[in-house]
Amino acid sequence: MPQSDIPLLWSALGANALAVLFYLLHVQIRRPAIWRFAFALVLTGFAVQTLTLALRWFAAGYLPVTNLFSTLFFFSWCLAATYVYFELRYRLHASGLFVMLVNLVLLAAALQRDPAIPALVPALDTPLFTLHIVFSFLGYALFTMAFSLGVLYLVRRVTGSALIPDLSKLRRLNEEAIFLGFIFFTLCMVFGSLWAYLAWGYWFSWNIKGVWSFIVWLFYAGMCHAKFVRRWQGTGYALLSIAGFGVVLFTYLGIGLLLRSNHPLG
Amino acid sequence: MKGIQTMIKELWNFLCSLKLAIVLASLSTLIIGAGSMVMPAHPEIFGDLDRMTLTNWYAAVASQHPLLTWWLPVAGLLLISLGVNTLCCFCDWLMRLRSRWRKTGEYLIHLGFILLLAGYLWGAWAGNRTEGLRLPPGKSVPLPAPEGYALRLEDFRALTGPGGRPIDMISDLSLLRGEEVVARKTVRTNHPLLYQGLVVVPLSFATETSGFRFLRPGRGLVDLVTGETLELSGQERLEVLDFAPHVLRQSNGRVRRIGDQLRSPAFLLELRAADKQIWKGWYLLREGLPEALEHRLNLRPVGPLENRISVVTANYDPGAGLAMAGGACLTAGALFAFFSYYRKRRRQERPEVI
Ligand code: HEM
Repeated sequence: MPQSDIPLLWSALGANALAVLFYLLHVQIRRPAIWRFAFALVLTGFAVQTLTLALRWFAAGYLPVTNLFSTLFFFSWCLAATYVYFELRYRLHASGLFVMLVNLVLLAAALQRDPAIPALVPALDTPLFTLHIVFSFLGYALFTMAFSLGVLYLVRRVTGSALIPDLSKLRRLNEEAIFLGFIFFTLCMVFGSLWAYLAWGYWFSWNIKGVWSFIVWLFYAGMCHAKFVRRWQGTGYALLSIAGFGVVLFTYLGIGLLLRSNHPLG
Repeated sequence: MKGIQTMIKELWNFLCSLKLAIVLASLSTLIIGAGSMVMPAHPEIFGDLDRMTLTNWYAAVASQHPLLTWWLPVAGLLLISLGVNTLCCFCDWLMRLRSRWRKTGEYLIHLGFILLLAGYLWGAWAGNRTEGLRLPPGKSVPLPAPEGYALRLEDFRALTGPGGRPIDMISDLSLLRGEEVVARKTVRTNHPLLYQGLVVVPLSFATETSGFRFLRPGRGLVDLVTGETLELSGQERLEVLDFAPHVLRQSNGRVRRIGDQLRSPAFLLELRAADKQIWKGWYLLREGLPEALEHRLNLRPVGPLENRISVVTANYDPGAGLAMAGGACLTAGALFAFFSYYRKRRRQERPEVI
């Protein structure tokens, strides 16, 4: 990997960590200047991550998302992008604390891994693979956003804190995150199936990762409907978003770490 | 009469019900999630699931282990019910298309799911999977399905990387129906041969001894492989009927094949004169030429002839086209729903809440 990546990666981590600190400070001292500065740090971290991603893409000649380091890094980039979109559009302010905390964990986990860019094996050398991965992490990032919004919803309900947007706004944003996440994850499944058909001769694989990806898809399809049922709106939806994130985490990390899988990416 | 009509209406409403969809999707999620936990611990049962169609796997493997596999048919039934539910819901929407066309994206997603499910079931029912089909160069190898088709390997190249590590397998393949070539394709990773539900992808390759090279003193080198003919003097011809890399001569004189490793090679030969068989029998290189041939021919073994064999997976899935159409509907629906989402929100269009 290019040596220049290492300081860049640490700068992104530093900017994210500082952003989290300033968001925490904002909880104590409620001054607009503080959340503005925190968000400026988020934007700086995101810009550095974007530059790192671009440099690695250029150096590799393909979007490097083929090992755990690069997928964690890409996941974190997607989550930062998602948060920036929600913040710019809906002004969440200090509510960003929780998302950025998750992002910090992702980045720190990535930095524990080997960032070297592996040689591209022919099976992964197709735009279908790239589309599959890009849409999967965009989906995961939006499901993580929904998880954060779900937690915020519950916190707001219990504490009534004025730092957090009101319940009806949180509910709407949560529904939006789930819907967008489902749309992206649908595209991920379509491209993945097409790729599997061309590479292995079947479009649905019964390996445990394939099965759990289908579970994620079906779970969030169910959630796309649950919002039409009055009883499930609000708290029920927040709880489902949190449970859904558990399913996502298990599919992405748990299977690789706990069980054996013959999915091409473990 | 009124009663029956009300009942039909109620049944239809039930089949179109959104709550039923949520219940079925939740139950399927739970049962597949819980059931899949036994999969990694039992590769001897679930390891073959991608190598066979679901129906064949069920008959051959799952039925022997009902306690570990019962959740699969239950999940299947739940998903089929969800499919029927989605289909009714889709038809209900079609009947109100005029007032609800803005939901086209969402309903294309529903249609996509129905087509995928139908495509999968059709493939599982009427399809066939063959993993590890060995294709020696130049030979036609019949396919188990679809019937009447065969594959012929025209050429094979293994692409190796630094250190001789195999990177890719490139096979020039012809697909034959009877004698006619119906498709040709250079098959390599991510570039399969596709023909009416048949998909052929590379799996691996092997080396196989196909015959032996001999010196015929005064006449140069000859390669003996199955199908080869040697012209002898006096209008006699010697034909190679078969070659085996490892055989054993039993005490009763019969020859038995042992394996594919080159250990004790032998040829099954036939000597003919003007289309009349004079002699037929095995020539074991270890034993030297049989008596019948000894004074007709002089052969000195030089070395084995090796062939690169392409090993492929040839799956036949008649439902693949339907599934592709489902994938296209899902993609179009997802894009349509994505772009119409904000527009609908701006217009304050909110669906009914039940
Ligand atoms: C696995 C199968 C299914 C999938 C993947 C699926 C997916 C979706 C998606 C993505 C939406 C859009 C949600 C939104 O606007 O945020 C939706 C809406 C909807 N779905 Fe499904 N669905 C499925 C099955 C069903 C079934 C069985 C029914 C039958 C009741 C149904 C009825 C509806 C209705 C009524 C809507 C609301 C449309 C509206 O906005 O007016 N869906 N579905």
